[in-house]
Amino acid sequence: MTAILQLNGVEKAFGGLKALDGVTIDLNEGEILSVIGPNGAGKSTLFNVITGVYTPDAGNILFRGRSVVGLAPFQVTTLGISRTFQNVHLFPQMTVLENAMVGQHCRTKAGLFGALFPFGSTRREEARIRERAVAALEFFGTRLAGYRQRQPAYVLSYANRRRLEMARAIATEPTVLLLDEPTAGMNPRETLELRDNINRMRDELGLTLLVIEHDMRVVKGVSDRVIAMDYGKPIAEGTYDEVANDPQVIAAYLGTKAVG
Amino acid sequence: MPAPLARAWKPALIAGIVVVYVSAVGLIEQFAEVYAIGTQVSLARVLLLLPLFLAGWVATRTTVERGERKVLAMPQAALSGAVTGLVGGAMVSIVLLAVDAIDPDTIGEVLIAVSTKLLGIVSFDQSLGTGIVLWLVLGAVVGALGGVVRALSPGARRVVLAGPLTIGVLAILQRVVSTAIKELGFRPDFLYDSKTSGLTWAGGIAAAVIVTLAVVGRDVLRSRPEAAAAPAARPAAASTGLGGFTTRQLVQGAVAIIAVLALPWVIGTALSGTVGTVMIFILLGLGLNIVVGFAGLLDLGYVAFFAFGAYATALLTGAQVNTTDGAGDPAFSLGLNFYVAIPIVVLLAAGVGLLVGSPVLRLRGDYLAIVTLGLGEVVSTLVTSKWAEGLVGGPQGMRDITGGDIGPTDFQNNPRHFYYLALVFVLLALYTSWRLQYSRVGRAWNAMREDEQVADAMGISTTRYKLLAFATGGAIGSLGGALLAIQLGSLTPRSFDVNVSILALAVVILGGLGSLRGVMVGSLALVGLPGFLREFEEFRPLALGAVIIAIMLLRPQGILPNVRVTEDIADEDRDQDAWARAAAGQPATETSAVEPA
Repeated sequence: MTAILQLNGVEKAFGGLKALDGVTIDLNEGEILSVIGPNGAGKSTLFNVITGVYTPDAGNILFRGRSVVGLAPFQVTTLGISRTFQNVHLFPQMTVLENAMVGQHCRTKAGLFGALFPFGSTRREEARIRERAVAALEFFGTRLAGYRQRQPAYVLSYANRRRLEMARAIATEPTVLLLDEPTAGMNPRETLELRDNINRMRDELGLTLLVIEHDMRVVKGVSDRVIAMDYGKPIAEGTYDEVANDPQVIAAYLGTKAVG
Repeated sequence: MPAPLARAWKPALIAGIVVVYVSAVGLIEQFAEVYAIGTQVSLARVLLLLPLFLAGWVATRTTVERGERKVLAMPQAALSGAVTGLVGGAMVSIVLLAVDAIDPDTIGEVLIAVSTKLLGIVSFDQSLGTGIVLWLVLGAVVGALGGVVRALSPGARRVVLAGPLTIGVLAILQRVVSTAIKELGFRPDFLYDSKTSGLTWAGGIAAAVIVTLAVVGRDVLRSRPEAAAAPAARPAAASTGLGGFTTRQLVQGAVAIIAVLALPWVIGTALSGTVGTVMIFILLGLGLNIVVGFAGLLDLGYVAFFAFGAYATALLTGAQVNTTDGAGDPAFSLGLNFYVAIPIVVLLAAGVGLLVGSPVLRLRGDYLAIVTLGLGEVVSTLVTSKWAEGLVGGPQGMRDITGGDIGPTDFQNNPRHFYYLALVFVLLALYTSWRLQYSRVGRAWNAMREDEQVADAMGISTTRYKLLAFATGGAIGSLGGALLAIQLGSLTPRSFDVNVSILALAVVILGGLGSLRGVMVGSLALVGLPGFLREFEEFRPLALGAVIIAIMLLRPQGILPNVRVTEDIADEDRDQDAWARAAAGQPATETSAVEPA
């Protein structure tokens, strides 16, 4: 198994707070790796340094052997790492289909002149953008199908907004997909459906996934491996059962009893 | 407090304040001699009573009390409207009595518009006592009408309002319409009184009846069963694209094209000039719409591109600078043909766009607005400065700009000819905006407008697309400047102050950010209307402010918002039904079972 994304001793501090304190993680091609940890453990910061929102203070991040440190977010996305956000961020005034079509942006080329003179290649490209955006939306079955694609994104239900965000990320045709709390705020039934969807992303789309998740049923149901973080550091790594029974992890979540 | 009064006092208070305000600023006196219909109904009187009508309308709104919707039935609606109008009229009466007691001319020393004459006009040219009685009676009647109209069904309301609105439009556009009738070789006497220049009673009523009948006729046709089925077929028809126009659409298109081409010959020379200016602002609006509406970059210094287009055109086509003793050659000058110069101007303006864009790339929202405001001021100051005298004439400006004529045309002196030149430019800009709107570039801009960071995370280079927006918007704005140079034949820096930026922004916002039709409507309303109704000119800033506040409060998306958004919401139910029918063959999915939205 080859590591497609490698983090070596990544550090990131905000003022005096070390959000990431020497994180070393290997993400293997084709696996689903879950990151768990209490609030403020540095999970979202981890996503932000991988995708170029923050530049790490130290350490290196290699994607397919090439360093992505210092690249802008759009460059990282173009290389093949896409993401969703902890709080859903869509383009609310654009239609559902257009949201997904934006995802295709980095895979296409048409510019000003293509728009003004829509012949041959531009036309074919636009058709392809549409086709692939629809395909990405249809990953979620009928949830984002049909008339919904012509609605502005802001009319969608909460769960559908999360799905659309994932569809948009899929439409960028990534190799690695980072999902930040994909089931947050969903009801139990939607959560179970999404658990299956995450598995399908790997099995059907061939994606490698890094998932931040709080719902332990989902973590259990999707993860090949689990990493637990606390205070900006991985404190345990292994299968779900190994990590879930790790005394350090239990302590991080439940707190240690004060020794009297 | 009795129920009608509880509903009435707030709208009545606001209406009363509006009446007093428009009187005190001089608007009423200005319109006292502008007759809408006959000699009885002047625009001033309409303006005085319209707030009470609207107050009656507002007071009759459906309210929610303790979770229950209270829809007023007809008699209650009339009562509530009448009470509102009465209270509003009483308010005005009290102010009239007070003003009379203090002596209007004393007040006039502070509020210069207030005078004995104004008091007379506001008292409907009667004695104060009769005027007050009239205010109470007319207030109640007009308010009741407002309430009654509100309580009608939408269909009936359309029919009832069609006539009065027709008269209103014909009265406001009296100069346009009467010139048009003259130009077509008829005498407008049957419609407009040659002495008052307002509508005649016979003509006004005839026009109102015709339009009302047309509205009724259309509604009757629409309500026939085969017509009712038509909307369902619309999505299919709309998606067939170029070849799939219906006969109806083709006829409408042909009529529109003929109307646009014939316009300057119908409205006369003077108004063609106004329309030419409107088109210059359509160009500015379209350009600014790309920057603000599509890409969401609030640019308050847009006048820079307008000035650049005008001066660059002048310099490239060999204009002279004004000096204290006549005219001289500018420091830099080329004697190019206008049509050779234009592409160069546009390209250079795009370059200026990059220049303006690059220092502000990191800025957003308020900060961007302030910095661009400063950059615009820099340009205005530069062209006015002594320092620029050698190049663009400084405060004296430039003259002898080419007319850009082809063969027999005379763009500079004949507004009708200029109209066609402007039309070509506007069509070019419209095509560009329209193509960009739904292209990959337009989507990238929209995404950036909605959420810059997320757009970045989805693979869009925000730097690149911000610069592209400034360059494209600047290029279109420079076309407006080039047109201005042709239209005037001379330039002074006074044409390029911050007001142009603000007016262009108002055009875009009024029409609806991101909407192309909106830019055209906004420009017609803000630039055209003061030209059509000259009395209005002086009060343009006042009206501008009032209209923009009202639009922002009541309809923040603009008069004609970007179609796709509203249409999609309005058609949602229909779409859902159509989709559900289409999907009926499939087994019922879990979608319908759990979907909360």
